[in-house]
Amino acid sequence: MSDTRRSRRWPGLVVAAIGVLVLGVVLATGIGHDDADTAGPATQLRDEPAPALTANTLSGEPFDLEELRGHVVVVNVMASWCAPCRTELPILARTAARWSDLGLRVVGLAMRDDEAELRSLLDETGASGLPVIFDRTGAEAVRWGATGVPETYIVDRDGRLRVRALGPITEAWVERHVVPLLES
Amino acid sequence: MRRVLMIAAMVVLLCAAGFAVWRSAAVGTPAAAEVAAGLRCLACEGETVADSASPVAAAMRAVIDDQLAAGRTEEQIRAWFADRYGPDVLADPSGQGVGALLWLLPAAALLTGLVLATRALRRPAAAPPAEPRRRVEPRGRRDLVWYAVALTVVGVVAGVAVAAEQSTPVGTTTPAAASQGDPLTAQLELARQRERQQDYAGAADAYRTAAELRPDPTIRLRQAFALLRSGQPAEAVTVARGVLQDRKDDPDALLILGLALRAENAPEAVPTLRRFLELAPEHPAAAQVRDLLGPP
Repeated sequence: MSDTRRSRRWPGLVVAAIGVLVLGVVLATGIGHDDADTAGPATQLRDEPAPALTANTLSGEPFDLEELRGHVVVVNVMASWCAPCRTELPILARTAARWSDLGLRVVGLAMRDDEAELRSLLDETGASGLPVIFDRTGAEAVRWGATGVPETYIVDRDGRLRVRALGPITEAWVERHVVPLLES
Repeated sequence: MRRVLMIAAMVVLLCAAGFAVWRSAAVGTPAAAEVAAGLRCLACEGETVADSASPVAAAMRAVIDDQLAAGRTEEQIRAWFADRYGPDVLADPSGQGVGALLWLLPAAALLTGLVLATRALRRPAAAPPAEPRRRVEPRGRRDLVWYAVALTVVGVVAGVAVAAEQSTPVGTTTPAAASQGDPLTAQLELARQRERQQDYAGAADAYRTAAELRPDPTIRLRQAFALLRSGQPAEAVTVARGVLQDRKDDPDALLILGLALRAENAPEAVPTLRRFLELAPEHPAAAQVRDLLGPP
């Protein structure tokens, strides 16, 4: 009796083991594709004409990317409802201050945001000096090809889009991607 | 009583599912809903722009509304999105090959489930009530069926996961494929996709853009061919002639030029096609051209 019971249990165990193994492999390959970026955002190098960007900032100043030919412009798609955006705002503010003499301009593009929340976030993170365009419907961000927030684009002095980063930027990323364009 | 309850539960669930489908289809105007349903939400896994609640999808829907209001056609809007985001943004629910698994496997699973459910529902009525509590089938076979079903379920899950992996685009955490950074490849992909969908006018447009990025005779000839198939022979003639200026006596260019001229009933068509036959008698299209021209 015990023999037949044991022999009946084996196929079950084998099947269960195979099943668990297959599920494990499938889950692992799925999860394996998610690079949790602790080393900075996923960055793409491009070389194409940058989309236009003409709007008034939160402070009422007009902004026109065309008029900034000769400058290196960092366009940062963000929102107050985006948690990682909070970590990169101080970095953007510092970067803007540090390199403006060499011709760097930084502009935020707040997509589908709440104005009050946005202003409060900028104050909290010390970034209230940054020009920010209020993209109510998010259409501007879509014209830049944004697939989420935060995303950061770098436009070189000739008005060409050179770098696109997905995820919050870091100081190291600035050194690696922004500074060389300033020095050219 | 249990059976009635189960059937009632199924009815309620089906109604809820139907309602949910109806609601998700009610997005803005019908035209906007159609365009949105044809675009993938790139920040989500497998959702279309119509379905997704993410802010980027909402922004894309706003752009669709703006462009429709400005008078652009659905095709133009899809082309604009493909230009901005790469051809991956165009949802292709028809899915060939691996993508077909995504349709077949859930359908098969549903069918199996329904079959098993009806059998389970039917069984209590079939078994005589006076029988002692002993299963009718031998135990070994029941176990086998159970394990087979379990393996099938696991196989279905794995299959769907693999198929989904291969046919959905990458999300924001991984860098986009090379085609995103290479506009030329993106345009060529777009053109081929449109050809598959038999949108030859759109394909010709994409080839034209690709040719502007790299004036390759092969690309220009594909453009000419797409123009011909979309009913624009005059434009096809111009492009084919352009290629012949750079590559005198290129058989493919002569072929397309000849066919385009023929579509315009131009007298130069026949000599052009004869020249093609002279230069490339073994060309795959040569036999058909001979038939077209008839005896010399």
